[in-house]
Amino acid sequence: MRDVKVLPPPRPSVQDENAMWVDEQIWGHRLWDAQSPWLIFLEFLTIAESRHRDHALFAGDLLDGAGYPVAVSFKPQRRMHLRNILYNNETLFDVAERYPDDATAWRKWLEWMQDNAQAVPNRDFSYLKKRFNSFKQFADLVGMLRSSTLESNTNKRWSSRFVFPFGSNAIYEDLNVSGAGPSREYIYFGRPGELLYQMLHRSARANELRLHLESALQRRDPCDRLLALMQPEDQGDLQTRSTGYLPYASHPSFDALATDWLSLFELNLPRFDAYSHLATLGALHLMLYQLVVAADRIGSCDPYFVCEVVAPRKTLVRELSGSSYMQNNQLPQQAVEHYVRTLAEKPEWQAAASDPAGFTACRQLMRDHVRWPSDERDYDGPADADALLIALRRAALSRHRQHVANVHRSYGGGAGLVSRRGTNRLRYAPTDELLKTLILANVPTRMEYGEFLTVLFDRYGLVFGEREAQQVLSSDEFDKRAFQANSERLEVRLKTLGMLRRLSDACAYVENPLRKTAQ
Amino acid sequence: MDAGERWIRFLRQYGPLPQNDNMFDEQIRRSASRLGVNPIAFKHPLEDAVLKVFDGSVTPSCLVLTGTAGDGKSHLCSQVWHQLQGDPGRWASNDVYFQLKPTINGRTYTLHVIRDLTGMPDDDDGARYTSKSALLVELSSALFDSASDVLFLIAANDGQLIETWRKLGPVGDAQRARELLEARLMGDEVPGPESRLQFFNLSNVPSARVLELALDALLAHEGWQACISSPHPDGFFGPACPIRKNFELLQTPLVRSRLLDLFRLCDFGELHTPIRRVLMLLANAVLGHPDARERLMLPRDVKEVLAKGTRHQASLYSNLFGANLSATKRESLEIFDYLGRFGIGQETTNRVDNILIFGAEDDNLKHYYEQLIATDPFYGATDRFRSAQRAYVEAPEATTGDRHDFLDMLMEQRRALFFKIPDELAAELKLWSLTVFASAGEYLDDVARPLQAGERVARHLVARLVNGLNRIFTGLLVSTDRELLLATSLSFSGSRVSQLLEDRVAVSARGRPEKVDVVLRKGFPCLEVTLPNGTVRTLKLNLTRYEFLQRVSQGALPGNFSRECYEDILAFKSGLLAAASNQAHTGNTGGADTGGELSFRLLSLDANGNPIDDVVEIADA
Repeated sequence: MRDVKVLPPPRPSVQDENAMWVDEQIWGHRLWDAQSPWLIFLEFLTIAESRHRDHALFAGDLLDGAGYPVAVSFKPQRRMHLRNILYNNETLFDVAERYPDDATAWRKWLEWMQDNAQAVPNRDFSYLKKRFNSFKQFADLVGMLRSSTLESNTNKRWSSRFVFPFGSNAIYEDLNVSGAGPSREYIYFGRPGELLYQMLHRSARANELRLHLESALQRRDPCDRLLALMQPEDQGDLQTRSTGYLPYASHPSFDALATDWLSLFELNLPRFDAYSHLATLGALHLMLYQLVVAADRIGSCDPYFVCEVVAPRKTLVRELSGSSYMQNNQLPQQAVEHYVRTLAEKPEWQAAASDPAGFTACRQLMRDHVRWPSDERDYDGPADADALLIALRRAALSRHRQHVANVHRSYGGGAGLVSRRGTNRLRYAPTDELLKTLILANVPTRMEYGEFLTVLFDRYGLVFGEREAQQVLSSDEFDKRAFQANSERLEVRLKTLGMLRRLSDACAYVENPLRKTAQ
Repeated sequence: MDAGERWIRFLRQYGPLPQNDNMFDEQIRRSASRLGVNPIAFKHPLEDAVLKVFDGSVTPSCLVLTGTAGDGKSHLCSQVWHQLQGDPGRWASNDVYFQLKPTINGRTYTLHVIRDLTGMPDDDDGARYTSKSALLVELSSALFDSASDVLFLIAANDGQLIETWRKLGPVGDAQRARELLEARLMGDEVPGPESRLQFFNLSNVPSARVLELALDALLAHEGWQACISSPHPDGFFGPACPIRKNFELLQTPLVRSRLLDLFRLCDFGELHTPIRRVLMLLANAVLGHPDARERLMLPRDVKEVLAKGTRHQASLYSNLFGANLSATKRESLEIFDYLGRFGIGQETTNRVDNILIFGAEDDNLKHYYEQLIATDPFYGATDRFRSAQRAYVEAPEATTGDRHDFLDMLMEQRRALFFKIPDELAAELKLWSLTVFASAGEYLDDVARPLQAGERVARHLVARLVNGLNRIFTGLLVSTDRELLLATSLSFSGSRVSQLLEDRVAVSARGRPEKVDVVLRKGFPCLEVTLPNGTVRTLKLNLTRYEFLQRVSQGALPGNFSRECYEDILAFKSGLLAAASNQAHTGNTGGADTGGELSFRLLSLDANGNPIDDVVEIADA
């Protein structure tokens, strides 16, 4: 068993709208599958930015006086003026083109905004006129900033579009804007960013990370300053929110995530080059966290990932990669089943269940633990403890399958590990981008190729070469030649990416391409 | 069997035979003594430097000889053994570990000799060491202790060397020693105090130098005299013998210099060929024939080759590219991979093909044809070629199948032409367009050669490189070539199209440090950029990158040539941007943080491809 410190569950009043509390007790509240690595990263930034504003980044106690976990509270920015300008404003470029006269252009546009802007108190954008030399210039700059929109090719509502997080003036939360005004929906920001924040906060390296994040948030990047210019000084009132529950006070997965983020920060990459890698690593580690926690729960050994370096033809490695995917994909569900079983093994449960009139006690016990069943709609079966357990198992699994069960595929896919490339079956086939991210996070300057494969195996469970495969596969699955060929294909891939140098037939080095040029 | 036959039989042993590589030296020695022939021998380029370590002229150091298989490690190792009067009988044994107690300059040392690091057993039968790892840890410490009497000589493959030390783990000085070895292997500067280490990476010996030595030794071998003085009546070494012809061709200065050019280009691209492979290439070039046993001719094969009229298949020009070998065999030998990358035979120009196809009849081309093909009745204007050529001109569509025989002959002829076009015609006939690297000649003559002579590279060449870089850096078809445009996108420095201008670096600026130049660093041509803040960043300019930049500057799209090069250049840009902004402590984009002013330099092009930076300034109160 790894070195893990488990926290008690939160007060029953916390998130009491949740109909059940099983996945949350295993992994936290919550792993949400329908969110891309970038959106997880942005959600994380809204919390970090707010905490930073309050001089409380990665600060605060884990437990309150009564021994209950404390949720991190934060006031995310909304920046509705900016978002109206950037994303709810199709007329801007028309106006700039149609009215060469500056004064007319401003007037026409401000009028249009007066009628069409949404979710801002007075629809007054006239402050802009003083800040820009001309309407044309303003429009050009809006166009430039819009070009940095993240995931701009997705077809999301305007209030769920995000400008690149250049600095604190660019960070805001996802909202739904409808008749009644902006409201927070947990669809695009579904709380994994909150878990990410807490994981980093609880990692052994939170203090080191804080310095890097602070300087990123304080950075007076021209783009960030420009975004500030587009917004009024008074942003109106903000709402206070609380992060979801994360059940571990410390966990090696948290430290591994933090270590990788630190490595990226320490490379001092130009511009915001590090951010896409941070987003990838965030999603990757959340996925690993889910599987590692699940494997721990059921007492299974650490998950491993047989990675196929895509070959032109079907290979044994592809097959094994597919089955290691299937195997891992089962882990979270097994953890849920295991959780239900453990509940039934509790002495209180056993005592109540053996009492013929104990059903009510059992039901109450279940309610205390998993907040279910709340009423007859949840459970209207016989007054029998075993039947109740079976119903819980069924309900927990069906709830699990809706979202949490898909995290492995969704985050794994988002990070570039899980893919269907060239086949119709899901498996682990890392993309070039992921490989590059892994090299940046693990290779300070250079590393012998074999050692690199060992590091990927030890830190993430990724299996590329024969040496690693031999450790995890049974002798009838293991085929030395197939894995040698796989590792040779990886070598060729890394070489084409400019990240590997072969010295002789016996010696190759993986090189961090950004350090290589910085000698 | 006469002396000539024995020599050829022996030479064949150097060729690409399916024998165990580990036993190569042994096999050569054995067949040399069996056939009574002297092996091909020349002084290793590093011999003097290696022997100097223990000759008393300097304080002796620990000695590591590394490199790839066939670089001559064992050979140099035995030289040292003889130098220190080691017992030749013991050296001839199968033992891999020895101890000597040499006295050098009055001081007696314990010298541990490990001639095969991986083959060394973990425990010694003779109990000379307790365990291999303990011994290596002890030797590690000896590297850093100037008072130590312990010395060692280790010969090992580079990969095995590092792997062995990696397995030792962080015990004693092992970690430090590994870092030192690794730094030496990668050619890094080693900071810190001097260590007692002489490190020779034999793979750093230029292959072109090895080729020269090997060619001289091969061609001067007394075995040839025996062949020449007694040609066989059945054809061997007679006037029609392909072995004899290939031997003669190898002696011609033009063949030699073209082959050397190819090797030099490989060296600049860090494609190293060990001695053993150079000898293999030469033996194959002279003796190769696809119909012979193991595809290498023996004297007795000549008769049949002549009888069947397959002499053209023994052509030196084709054998140099491994055409006599099976595709699998060819692919397994790096040297043929390296030479194959030039695409000689596949690449061509209209002019060259016109000479080959119509030259015999066309008045304008005739004199080229006469000079280059007709004068060579052996592999050039043979009856076979002439008749196929006439048939092709009359009916270009093949009568059987879909590919005309003549097309394969064209390939042979183009390969031959690469070695036949004299220097005077090289520019006129665009010699290097017979390879993938059209700018290779320029790279050798106008970049590498002047740099090695301590001269500068011509300005217009640097300008073209800068232009290529600019097109990649901005993703725009700019024509700028007198300054480097450091451009980025808003968020990501490595994006394909970067329209925000961060900085300009003048190619040469009077009175300021900034400049862009091509210089020689550790023997390699490098592109060196000195930023306005004085920081220097270099990019190794190998042939592929040179060709890439030249092509981009001539209008090719960056994604089309080599992904590897493209990534390298983008990473170089990221490095430049990081260096430029780290030093200035601004960490900003497309303009500077000048007090209350906010400015963005948006890059666009005018009609002539000149970059215009549209500066957008806003007061930021």
